[in-house]
Amino acid sequence: MAVLVVRDLKARYSAKGPEVLKGISFEVSEDDFFAIIGPSGAGKSTLVRCINRLVEPTAGEIHFNGQEITKLGRKQLRVLRRDIGMIFQEFNLVNRMSVMDNVLSGRLGYTGNLRTLFRAFPRRDIDHALQLLDRVGIADQVDKRADELSGGQRQRVGIARALMQGPKLLLLDEPTSSLDPKISREIMRLIKEMASEFKVPCLCNIHNVQLAMEFCNKIIGLQDGIKMFDGPTESMNEDKLNKIYAMEVL
Amino acid sequence: MNRPQGQSHRPEITYEQILQLRHRNWLVRSVIYVLMTAMMLWSVQVTIISDTDWERMGSIGKVMSSAARFVGIDWALFPNLIEPAIETFMIACLGTLLGVLICIPATWFGAHNITPFKPVTYPIGRLLMTLSRSIHEIVWALFFVAAVGLGALPGIFAIAMRSVGFIAKMSAEAIEDIDVGPIEAIRATGANGFQVVLYGIVPQVLPQVLSVIIFEWEINIRRSAILGFVGAGGLGLVFFRQMNTFNYHGVTSVIIAILGIILVGEVVSYFTRKSVI
Amino acid sequence: MTSQSTEPAIVETMPQREWSRFRYPQSVIRYGVCLSVFVFLVFSIEYLEIPLERLLGILGRLGLTLANRYYPPDIEYIMDADYMEYVVETIQMAYLGALFGLLATIPLGWFASFNMTPSRHFVYPVARLITMVCRAVHEMIWAILFVTILGFGMLAGVLALTFFCTGFAGKLFAEEIEAIDMGPVEAIRATGGNLFQVMVFGVFPQVRVAFTGIAIYTWDVAFRAATVVGFFGAGGMGWYLQRNIMQIETHRTAAILVSIIVLVLISEAVSAWARDRISKSK
Repeated sequence: MAVLVVRDLKARYSAKGPEVLKGISFEVSEDDFFAIIGPSGAGKSTLVRCINRLVEPTAGEIHFNGQEITKLGRKQLRVLRRDIGMIFQEFNLVNRMSVMDNVLSGRLGYTGNLRTLFRAFPRRDIDHALQLLDRVGIADQVDKRADELSGGQRQRVGIARALMQGPKLLLLDEPTSSLDPKISREIMRLIKEMASEFKVPCLCNIHNVQLAMEFCNKIIGLQDGIKMFDGPTESMNEDKLNKIYAMEVL
Repeated sequence: MNRPQGQSHRPEITYEQILQLRHRNWLVRSVIYVLMTAMMLWSVQVTIISDTDWERMGSIGKVMSSAARFVGIDWALFPNLIEPAIETFMIACLGTLLGVLICIPATWFGAHNITPFKPVTYPIGRLLMTLSRSIHEIVWALFFVAAVGLGALPGIFAIAMRSVGFIAKMSAEAIEDIDVGPIEAIRATGANGFQVVLYGIVPQVLPQVLSVIIFEWEINIRRSAILGFVGAGGLGLVFFRQMNTFNYHGVTSVIIAILGIILVGEVVSYFTRKSVI
Repeated sequence: MTSQSTEPAIVETMPQREWSRFRYPQSVIRYGVCLSVFVFLVFSIEYLEIPLERLLGILGRLGLTLANRYYPPDIEYIMDADYMEYVVETIQMAYLGALFGLLATIPLGWFASFNMTPSRHFVYPVARLITMVCRAVHEMIWAILFVTILGFGMLAGVLALTFFCTGFAGKLFAEEIEAIDMGPVEAIRATGGNLFQVMVFGVFPQVRVAFTGIAIYTWDVAFRAATVVGFFGAGGMGWYLQRNIMQIETHRTAAILVSIIVLVLISEAVSAWARDRISKSK
């Protein structure tokens, strides 16, 4: 069964603004590492953010594990977001907090207000956080402040935070655009390994087409809010790429 | 678009235009200076020259001896100053604390990115901040003394109300300047509003807010000392009594005591800043 | 093992690590300090005999007092021509206090700045001390002192405001000078300029804009203080305030307070506009 089914999704940023997504449909299955590619302004970032409703879609349907999510109320929306982890281009860590606190913040959706106030996460969460930090390779930085880390290290913290949620879907918003090429490859490899280890499908907005072709098994190409390509990576070729990126040539 | 070779497309600025601009600037500045000097001369005439009772003041010598009455310290007074000094210090501390509590809703309303209902609550928040800063602490103290009576309590209220403006304004500005990225990330984990504030907003603004609070606390020590002039407790009351009994050396002692607790405040503030910021 | 559950999946092959949020001795110190601050505050409430239980009642009475005795404010009283004269005089006092204070600050702030002071052993400490004393002594204390020495009237008020503004602006100005880029200063020194020339060509251009900001800030504070110094006999509208409070003319007092608030708000609006203009023309 498909984990994520998107039908005719439309979105715009403001009531009078232009329509950023003009009717997108696609499906993501359990073992997919799905890439969204396209020129700047095509709506890739908006599409990813519509899935966990950080951006509100204006029309269309999104089915997540069988549940239609575009009309969920606030409480149910929080439950939904618990199940969807997100990794950001700018890492979006809380800079003044330690690495451990940043990773633990992934469990906020499961933690009560009183525990949050005193940052008293259950022992089980702390153990799991330590294991994840070990797995992403920065266990020795656990007490450092987030802004004392390098870009690659920060993204590793972001990965650990997202996986702390025990998510059923991972959203990636240009996870490597702020990193240099070698680190980008390491991070993508790490994400792919951990995603398959924890059996979590990924929907990845990515700017670098080579990385997309190397790590992802399915690709969607967006141009100006319209889907120009949808299929397995193998069927992507230069012609189709040019069509997607047609705007950039001009 | 092809441009012909070697043709600049900057607007031509001539030498004359530059000179004209400089001349105009010089004119504007001269006019400002002339106006300011005129205002000064007029003000001096009205406030100093015509208002002062020159005869009663007498010569420079008389003024000097008048000032000399204050030169000297009443040592015997100092033991009696300890309690009022502690009282003044406490009024400053409690007043600042109360002010911080009042600041929480004031800042929430007065920051345009977190205010609940912008057309209504944002102006209210901003108005509260401006009122608080515009009204002198003496005026606040007079009001509270009339409303709740004499003693330390009106002093605490006055300090609190006076501090809200600055602390809330600086905190609101800090909140308006935050990075939205971490907030987006915290929201994306399924956190509720309270958790978003605690994990997204507070860590980003806490150092600035604490710095502002410490700064205002220091100033409040200075303010608490004089609230006693209008009956709100502390060293100000002693000062007043010494003046009324014409014990000018005592007045100097009180001033020294005030400077003393301000110094204590500065020392505490220095060490607190180093450890917090 | 599937990840289709809300429990975080534990990978069993990882070695167990220990982690505790509390580090000894930093945590002990931090908690100790927080606790002692808390204890001090509670002790203060006891010492000052603050009736916490009656507080709510007091606040209620506050509202009633405000509604009954202070409302409506006697606006006619302040529309009086005599009062208007006092208002103008208050503005003038504030202007002179700020102006003279700022003029005094130019040399004083320079002497009190660690990097540009002519002599670090003598001039610097003395200038710093003067600035600190002027600043620490509240403007009302200055007012009372000068009234005692010079008698009632605006001369005392102007002098009090001047001394206060000198301290206030002096500290800010010294800090600005200490924050400049020393490059241009070195350059002027290298051309053989003396200290004065270094100040005029190396320092002042850098601090000019900040000085204008300090000037506007000083005016704000001076005006606020000027409205009240009259309470202690130093001239201005504060005198009206004192008279009416002594006579328990609460409606008139309310009117005077309203006029003070309105004037300060206008002054702040003008200052904000001036600050805007300056930052735009930069």
